[in-house]
Amino acid sequence: MFKSALAIVEGTKAALSAIRANAMRSALTCLGIIIGVAAVITVVAVMQGFTKQINDQLADMSPDVTNIKPFTSREQEMLGKRAKLTYDDFLVLKARIKEAETMTALMFTWRFSGGAEYGNKSHSSRVIGTEQDYQKAYRTYPELGRFIRAEDDDKRRRVAFIGHSIIDKLDLPENPVGEYIKLGGEWFRIIGVAEKQGSLLGFDQDDYINIPISTMSALEGASAQSNVQIMFRLKEGTNEEQTIAKMKRILRQLHKLEADEPDDFEFETAEKAREQIDTFTNSATAITAGIVGISLVVGGIGVMNIMLVSVTERTRVIGTLKALGATPGFIMLQFLVEAVVLSLFGGLIGLAIGYGLSGLVSVLVPGMPGAYIPAWAVMLSFGFTSLIGIVFGLAPAIKAARLNPIDALRYE
Amino acid sequence: MSAVIKLENINKHYKMGDQVFKALDDVNIQINLNEYVAIIGPSGSGKSTLMNLLGCLDTPTSGDYYLKDKLVKKMTETELAHQRNESVGFIFQSFNLLPRASALENVMQPLVYRFIPGKQRKQDATDALNRVGLGDKIEHLSSQLSGGQRQRVAIARALVTKPHILLGDEPTGNLDSKTTTEIMALFDELHSEGHTIILVTHEQEIADHCHRVIRLVDGKVVSDVRKEDGDRQHV
Repeated sequence: MFKSALAIVEGTKAALSAIRANAMRSALTCLGIIIGVAAVITVVAVMQGFTKQINDQLADMSPDVTNIKPFTSREQEMLGKRAKLTYDDFLVLKARIKEAETMTALMFTWRFSGGAEYGNKSHSSRVIGTEQDYQKAYRTYPELGRFIRAEDDDKRRRVAFIGHSIIDKLDLPENPVGEYIKLGGEWFRIIGVAEKQGSLLGFDQDDYINIPISTMSALEGASAQSNVQIMFRLKEGTNEEQTIAKMKRILRQLHKLEADEPDDFEFETAEKAREQIDTFTNSATAITAGIVGISLVVGGIGVMNIMLVSVTERTRVIGTLKALGATPGFIMLQFLVEAVVLSLFGGLIGLAIGYGLSGLVSVLVPGMPGAYIPAWAVMLSFGFTSLIGIVFGLAPAIKAARLNPIDALRYE
Repeated sequence: MSAVIKLENINKHYKMGDQVFKALDDVNIQINLNEYVAIIGPSGSGKSTLMNLLGCLDTPTSGDYYLKDKLVKKMTETELAHQRNESVGFIFQSFNLLPRASALENVMQPLVYRFIPGKQRKQDATDALNRVGLGDKIEHLSSQLSGGQRQRVAIARALVTKPHILLGDEPTGNLDSKTTTEIMALFDELHSEGHTIILVTHEQEIADHCHRVIRLVDGKVVSDVRKEDGDRQHV
């Protein structure tokens, strides 16, 4: 036991001095591993940066908000039918569901998809018809002015609450409250500007315009029964299952569905959305890291190649060491340690480069979130590189250990 | 005197196509403690093959080799390594020093395999280098040393584990005549200090230093002569 510990110490010393003696070759041996680890770390860091950003933003969004969306089954779709949730549906639900702490609706229409105009500037933005509770459900707060109020909705006022990016896009004054912009051919007065949200996956979250849903609905005229999306949060202590069942009953009545017809709407919780995104980002990270991880295996093969060459090159030295009393075990240990040290060393440099590279990527590429390197990625690349060192170092080490001393000494 | 080396019916055959080349052909030799032996013969006579067998670097095709009364063919690779480390010191014609290592590091190398602590290792190696007259060159790399100095380092390396037997395979083959004389004087001294010395050579002057001369021709021992008090006597 004591002897084998000493053998490891001596084998390590011998390996380190061999690495030092062949600094250039050692560096080249590491290169594959360096590139592999750097690539894995960079990819994982960037992917994890995305995931972290998404999670942070989802955390801002209340997990208890539930969405009701129209749902068209495949068969209905084939028949050319499209399920709809209407503004009237929303009004009925809002009036009857007292268990909701907030309930709000979003409406998108073609009329307003044309964009916004101010002066000689125009910009196509998302124009969303909504009402006062939207602010509570989405936790959007005005930086300037105010959000849409109940009376705006009641009186169908032509007012707009804009996302922060609209100021730049339309070249609005720094404080645009009170200015008039043109939406879908109608003039709207700006009543407030939202706080900045930043971008998510390169998607500008501040590029939107809210107008009162009743105003939008009225301006749509005949086709007023446009599609809406309803979202609500229940009061604390409410029986969620019962309430949702009740809402489903109401919607089925409103939509005049027969008992044997399926629902033409679906309930979607933020929790569910988050799970979906988590599954997606995790598998995306795993797949990309896996693909890039192949380069680590290639790096390991590089280590094996150069170690084999190195054994051949040092055949005479190995013969001499054997003549001086080196046991096969000792020679094997020395070469194995050499391979592992080279791999780990490559891993360390690769990690440093990966850190730098992922930082650089997040700075240079616009819309890229800050890179984030999780501890598991560091542990994994070290575990993996030492494993590579052992696996790919084994063949050269065995070759060295098995050399017949006299053949090795005669080797030219 | 006890036999440190006993060879019984040793054969070493190499297959070359259909033909069998007999490098050693039924060799029987016994060498006692503190003998000073030269193995001579023309090239291809099998003297180096014999030396490699004695140094546990090679194995015979058949026959028994007893090193210090232990049968070598029953030893594992690891035991053989221990014998090479402890029982014999091998000196090569081309020195075989470790490249990019200092004289001291070269001489310390065999002690690494005995797990001797670093301080003691350095002390023993320095002593051995002093013994061969290189005490002032211990930090020199082998590339910075002359041929004679390199062979002295190799001898110090063979000596450092205090083996019973020193084996020299043409130890002066790559040296000029003046250096040869110096190295042979060193072997004479080591012999008088009690080492058993076996040298392979094809030079008569070297053989003249030794007290026993074994001549090989075509893998066979053709003569084995012991000089005693100046007289030659057949064994």
